Amino acid sequence: MNTMMPERSLSEQFPRLAQNGGLDVRELERLRARAYRFAQEQMRPRALQIDRRTGEDPSSFDWDLVRAGAEAGMLRLLIPKPAGGAGGMSTQVAVVMEELCAACPGIALIFGAHALGISPLLLGGPSQWDGVLAELVASEYDSEPQLMACAITEPEAGTDVEDPDLLRHARITSHARRVPGGFRLSGTKRFISNGSVARWITLLMPTDPRRPAESWTCFLLDTRSAGFSVSRVEHKMGQRACPAAELTFDEVFVPAERIVSREGDGAAATTIVLACSRPPVAAIATGIARGAYERVLGWLEEDPAARGLAERQHVQLALAGMEEEIHLARQLYMDAATELDHTALGGVMSHPGVRALGHVPALLRSRPPVRGWLASERARDATIALLHRSTSERAVTRSLALSSMAKARGGDVAMRVTGAALELVGLRAGPVRAELEKLWRDAKLTQIYEGTNQLNRLEVYRGLCHAETMNCLPPLRRIHLDAEAGAHTDGRARARLYADVRRQTNLDGDGGRS
Amino acid sequence: MTVTPAMSVITVAERAEIRAMARELAARELVPRAAALDAGDQDVLAECWRLLVQLGLDRVLLDEQHGGAGLGVADLLATIEELAVGDGGIAMCVLLCNAALATLTDEQLAVVPSGARWALVPGAAGTEVRFSDGQLDGSLACALGAHGADGLVILLDGPQPAAWAIPRDAPGLKLARETDQMGLCAAPAASIEMAVIRSAQVTGEVDGSVGTASAPALLRAGTAAIAHGIARRAYEMALEYAHARRQGGVAIIEHDAVSDMLAAMAVRLACWPEIAADPAGLALDGERALAVKIAASDAAVASSTDAVQVFGGTGYMVETGIEKLMRDAKYCQLFPEPNWVAHDELMSSARAGRAA
Repeated sequence: MNTMMPERSLSEQFPRLAQNGGLDVRELERLRARAYRFAQEQMRPRALQIDRRTGEDPSSFDWDLVRAGAEAGMLRLLIPKPAGGAGGMSTQVAVVMEELCAACPGIALIFGAHALGISPLLLGGPSQWDGVLAELVASEYDSEPQLMACAITEPEAGTDVEDPDLLRHARITSHARRVPGGFRLSGTKRFISNGSVARWITLLMPTDPRRPAESWTCFLLDTRSAGFSVSRVEHKMGQRACPAAELTFDEVFVPAERIVSREGDGAAATTIVLACSRPPVAAIATGIARGAYERVLGWLEEDPAARGLAERQHVQLALAGMEEEIHLARQLYMDAATELDHTALGGVMSHPGVRALGHVPALLRSRPPVRGWLASERARDATIALLHRSTSERAVTRSLALSSMAKARGGDVAMRVTGAALELVGLRAGPVRAELEKLWRDAKLTQIYEGTNQLNRLEVYRGLCHAETMNCLPPLRRIHLDAEAGAHTDGRARARLYADVRRQTNLDGDGGRS
Repeated sequence: MTVTPAMSVITVAERAEIRAMARELAARELVPRAAALDAGDQDVLAECWRLLVQLGLDRVLLDEQHGGAGLGVADLLATIEELAVGDGGIAMCVLLCNAALATLTDEQLAVVPSGARWALVPGAAGTEVRFSDGQLDGSLACALGAHGADGLVILLDGPQPAAWAIPRDAPGLKLARETDQMGLCAAPAASIEMAVIRSAQVTGEVDGSVGTASAPALLRAGTAAIAHGIARRAYEMALEYAHARRQGGVAIIEHDAVSDMLAAMAVRLACWPEIAADPAGLALDGERALAVKIAASDAAVASSTDAVQVFGGTGYMVETGIEKLMRDAKYCQLFPEPNWVAHDELMSSARAGRAA
């Protein structure tokens, strides 16, 4: 098999990495090498077998691979260091995803969906370090790793729940009803990667169904809660190793402290989460394309039936085209990831106060007074304030646009390269054909999930062509949505509030705020 | 051998009636069974085959003396296109069977029982299969329609094209079902091993216009018709969904992002009559058949891929039936040869023509 680590180091390919505050490039190289070994030794040999099995039984799941992935550090990439994780961000997840997806995108998606489930918790700041995140890390050491998932999509609302404007008109049927001590969640979420195997799920629902955009709220759900069930596991075209489930919520109780960030901040959280997750999705697509390209190279070298084909200009031009597309796709996702890490959450994590808190032993942080303060409204407000000081809505909008560009282009590249690879080898090629067919099926999903490519390109228009600034940071002041309090906030009021907050804090302007 | 007319003498009305019959069959019988056929259910395949045999669609090109309908290539291609709207794999079975039986001699046909499913298997002479001293040796991977077929016609392309009919029970012939068949699953593929099938066991070499000269062209023209049927189905399904699904408060067809894709699909379909003009001539004109197959299969892949995109996440799920069209269309790009090889052959013909 012709597969190898790229000849040039990451710092040679991407000089900007070294300028990214807080990013240890040597550590990133080691992480990439570890991901490569795990992918080639553990994932690739099992990829086709798992694909066949899950093709027959979509609910089957390979926990052994998850345990192996946990040992290789694939589950703690995004978990902050104070919680025992690797402290990675978009760049680290993206680099790992390319390596894993060159072997098997379906298995890789298990780890990618886990990271996606974690990402909203990062917006919760230090209040989340000693709760579920620490439990996730502890579960790895017990050899019974727990998985996370993120649930946004609903049966009647897909792309439109990923866009703040479309969300206003989306046909949301889920609802989080306020009750004493918390909320009761009802409704259905669909196509949730890891949904049937996750121990914890970050999910988004409106607390006021009449105003989904304004009341869109992120909850952390324990899947052992009464009323939660997996209603079906989908039979997918590809990326089958990672189950996509339909989840039913029947008056599931979630305590108020399990709101991630604050009530009503869900739309902003979704925007930031998507900005963080799209570079890794672009990397997934790039990895798929690379996997197909490497398999063709291997076939040309090793299969007697392909002898002499590499001498053909047609084949040479096709291979050169693949290399070119993969190279450009990688440049795009690395640019988006480093931009995002530099301008968005990276600023929060590298803030001296947060770093100092990270040095406080977990035992001390978990003491009731400290823990109580970290979970308080004031602490959540402080985290949001820190986010505002670290970045700006324009910077996040721009990052989202770059991430969307990388994602859309990456998905197209994955389809083109896998399609061309399959055409080169043809039906008679033997085992490599089955691998390429799988990659081609896997590739199609990258044009669809994390927002269709069409939606992503519209965000490129808004963020770059039209230079819009989206309301993509949670407001500094908490918006009260409690109907009984009579403090409803309609779209106009929310816009006024945003404007007011911007004026007060003088946070407008391009780039991050110093 | 049976002489197959390239153009039959039926009227325009009769031709339209045949097409309508195939269309109705596809809608009534194939569409509801498409998922089972895609899953490789052999019982459902046998059930569908019986229906096709009842209508004489297994022997469209044969004359009445041999139990056929006595129709021409244009009728076969129209029928195949309509069947492909229901299921591309079944349409491929019909194409392969008709092409195989049309290559047999009268004597060979006389012993082929009614309802038998044969398959024409194209291969490369020399590299995959060798013929010498009356013996066939070699192997062919992923031969569409070969699994479960009652007989095969091995058609070897090369400097001296030739064909051999081999009954399923011929000694030395081994078939193993292909476990990883992504598309056209109702034409179940097998890997074929031929270990010294002696001349006595080969039922006959085929010659004549339909056999050695134009059977490859018939395969390509038929594959083009299947690809077009798949593209039609993709457009129909995507258009219907785009009207029904709402997003941002309106039906998604109101979004340019969706209507642009639908328009592109419509354009590709609209070009088909131009591409496939004079379908009967296609099977006699190897170069045209190559070009049409390339254009139609590329269009089918583009349209079915766009159709899945219109459906979004729903389209990626097997139960919707739309992603199947993508897989089936992709196989049309790869059969009987990958499109880049077809390009190559096209230019070889052009170079040869210039040299002559």
